[in-house]
Amino acid sequence: VSALSVSAKAANRASGVPWLAMAGWLALFAALAGAPAVLDQYFVEIGFKFLVFCVLAEAWNLMAGYCGLVSLGVSSFFGLGGYVAVGLLNNTGLALAPALAVAALWAAGMAAIVSRALFRLRGLYFTVGTLALSEALRLFVINAPFFGGATGLVLRGDPPDAAALLRDATVAFALATLVMTAATRSRFAVLLSAVRDDEDAAAQVGVRAFRIKLAVFAAASALVATVGGLQAVKLGAIEPYGSFGLQWSVDALTVVVIGGIGMRLGALVGAGFVIALGELLADYPEAHNAINGVILVVLIRFAPRGLCGLIADLARNLRRPRGEKSA
Amino acid sequence: VTLAPAAPRVAGLLVCGCAMPSLEVIASTLVSGVLLGGMLGLTALGLSIVLGVMRLVNLAHGGFLVVGAYAGFVLLARTGIDPLIGLPLIGLGMGLVGYPLYRLLLAPFAGKGPEASLMTMFGVSIIVENLLVLGFSADTRSIDRAYATTALTVGPISMPQIYVIGFCISVVVILAVHGLIAHTAFGRDLRASADDPGAAAVVGVDLARVHALTFALGAAAAGVGGTLMGVAFSFTPSTGPSYLLNDFAIIVMGGLGNVLGTLVGGIVIGVLQSLGGLTLGDGYRDLVGLVLFLIVLTFRPQGFLRGRVG
Repeated sequence: VSALSVSAKAANRASGVPWLAMAGWLALFAALAGAPAVLDQYFVEIGFKFLVFCVLAEAWNLMAGYCGLVSLGVSSFFGLGGYVAVGLLNNTGLALAPALAVAALWAAGMAAIVSRALFRLRGLYFTVGTLALSEALRLFVINAPFFGGATGLVLRGDPPDAAALLRDATVAFALATLVMTAATRSRFAVLLSAVRDDEDAAAQVGVRAFRIKLAVFAAASALVATVGGLQAVKLGAIEPYGSFGLQWSVDALTVVVIGGIGMRLGALVGAGFVIALGELLADYPEAHNAINGVILVVLIRFAPRGLCGLIADLARNLRRPRGEKSA
Repeated sequence: VTLAPAAPRVAGLLVCGCAMPSLEVIASTLVSGVLLGGMLGLTALGLSIVLGVMRLVNLAHGGFLVVGAYAGFVLLARTGIDPLIGLPLIGLGMGLVGYPLYRLLLAPFAGKGPEASLMTMFGVSIIVENLLVLGFSADTRSIDRAYATTALTVGPISMPQIYVIGFCISVVVILAVHGLIAHTAFGRDLRASADDPGAAAVVGVDLARVHALTFALGAAAAGVGGTLMGVAFSFTPSTGPSYLLNDFAIIVMGGLGNVLGTLVGGIVIGVLQSLGGLTLGDGYRDLVGLVLFLIVLTFRPQGFLRGRVG
C-alpha cells in the first residue's frame, strides 16, 4: 500500500479545533443548500451529479485510502440502496428521508453479512471478491421473480423536483463529511492506518482488525446506498443493468485516484475535475471515459497522491526559500 | 448494455427449466459443458499465468479477450481470412502489444506492492472498452461462420460443432503452453521467478524480461481464447467483466498459475454452468459460477488443485 498511501499525519493534527476547516465546510454546505434558489436547472442537475460523485468518492476513499480496502463492489450497495428505497416508497407510506435511512441500514447489514466471506480475502483477492459480489447481485436481481427482472421497477408517485433533490444530496454529502471527519480526525484514524499499512502487525499489538474493517465497510456501504436511493428516486425508475452496473464502481475509483487517494479533499477535488471534464466532453461520453482511463493510468504512475498531492507538493516548493532543491 | 455473455446461438440447445429433462438432454448438456469448459479454460490461461508468475491481477484480461473477439471479427470482414485460420496471427499480434504494454505501464511498479498495477490495469480496461465502443459502437456483434451455428449429432447426443473445434484448439494451446513452461529454458526462468523471484535474480534470471514475456504470453493466450469465444458467442465491448469473473472462478478452481489446472477448472465451471442453466433456467448460468467462486474463495482461497506454475 505504501506507494499509494500517505502517513497518518491526520492523527497528529487532530489536537485543537480546526476552526478554519470547519468554517470552510459550513460555507460549502450553505452555498450548496442555497444554490437551487439562484441557479438555473442545468447547474442544479450538475450539482446533484457532483454531490452523488462526492459521496461515492468519500465512501470509496474511506475504504481504499484510509483502510486499504480497494473495492470494486460500490455498485452492489448503490443498486441495493436504489431497490430498497423504491420498494419502500412504492409499498409503504414511508417518506423519502426515512426510506433512505432504512436503505442505508439495510446496506450496512448486508455489508456485515458479506464481510464474513469477503474479509477472508486479502488485498487483491478482496478486490476481485467485491467485483464478483456486485455481478452476482445483479444477476440475482435480474433472474429472481420479485424485482421486475431486467425491466426493473418504476417509482409510483411523482419524484421530487430537482431543487429538493439537490438539498437532499447536500444532506447526504454533509453526512459523508461527518463520517469522514469522525474517522480521520480521531483516535480511530490511527487504528485505520495501522490496519491499512500492516493488518497482521496491527493485530499483533491488539488492534481488532476485523471490527475496524467492518465498521469502515458498513459505514461506506450505508453512504453509497443513500445516494443510490437518491439517484433511483431522481430517475423515477430502476433497472438492474444501470443500478448494479460496474460504472458506479469505476466512477468512485476514478474520482478518488484523480483527486488523491487517502487525501482528505481528494473526493471533492476529483469529483469537481471529473464532472467538469464530463460536461466539456458531454457529446462524447466514450471519449470522456477513455480519457479518464488515460488520466488514471498516468496519475497512478507519476502522481500517486492525485491532484491534491500535486497541489500540496507545489505549495511546499513555493514556500521553500530559493536555491533549496526539493527532495 | 449487457455484461452477461449471450446465450449460445445454436438452435436446439437452449433448454428451458422443464420439469424433468430427458436423458438425452442431460447427456448433451454434460458433453456441451465439458467442451465449453475446455474453451473457458483457455480464456483463463493468460490471467492464471500472469497471476501465478508476478502476482499481478490483470483486471484488463477481460478486455484482452474482447479485443481477441473483435480481432477475429475484423480479420474476417476485411481480409476474408477465417478467424480460426488467423488464430496464430491474432495471438502473435496480442503478444506484440502485450510486451511493450508491460514494459511501459507495469514494469515501473515491480516490487512496489500490488495496488498500483491493479488500478493501472483497471484503467487500461476502461480505455480498451471505450475505444472499442468508439470504433465499433456498443452493438452486439457476432462472427458469421457456418460451423458456428451447426450442431453435431453423435447417436443420441447433440452438441454445437464450434464447441468441439474450440475444445480441440484449446487443449492443444494449453498443452503447448504447458510444454513451453515445463521443458524450455524460458519456462525454467519463468518457474524460478514464480517460486522465488529473489533467488532467481541472484542466479542471473532477468526478472523484468521474464515478466514482460510472461505478460505477452498471457495476452497472446487471451487473444486466441477471445477469438474462439467470439466465434461461439456474440459479444459487445462491455462483455469483458463477465469473461473476467468467469476466469477468476476457473483459476480458483484450478489453482493459481497451474496451467493444466485451468483446463480442469474450466471443465468444472463449464459443466456446472450447463447443469445450472438446465435446472434453474438459462439466466442462472453465470450466477452458478460466481456463487461457486465466492464459496471457494471463502473456504479454500488457494484453490482445489495445487496452485503452482507448471
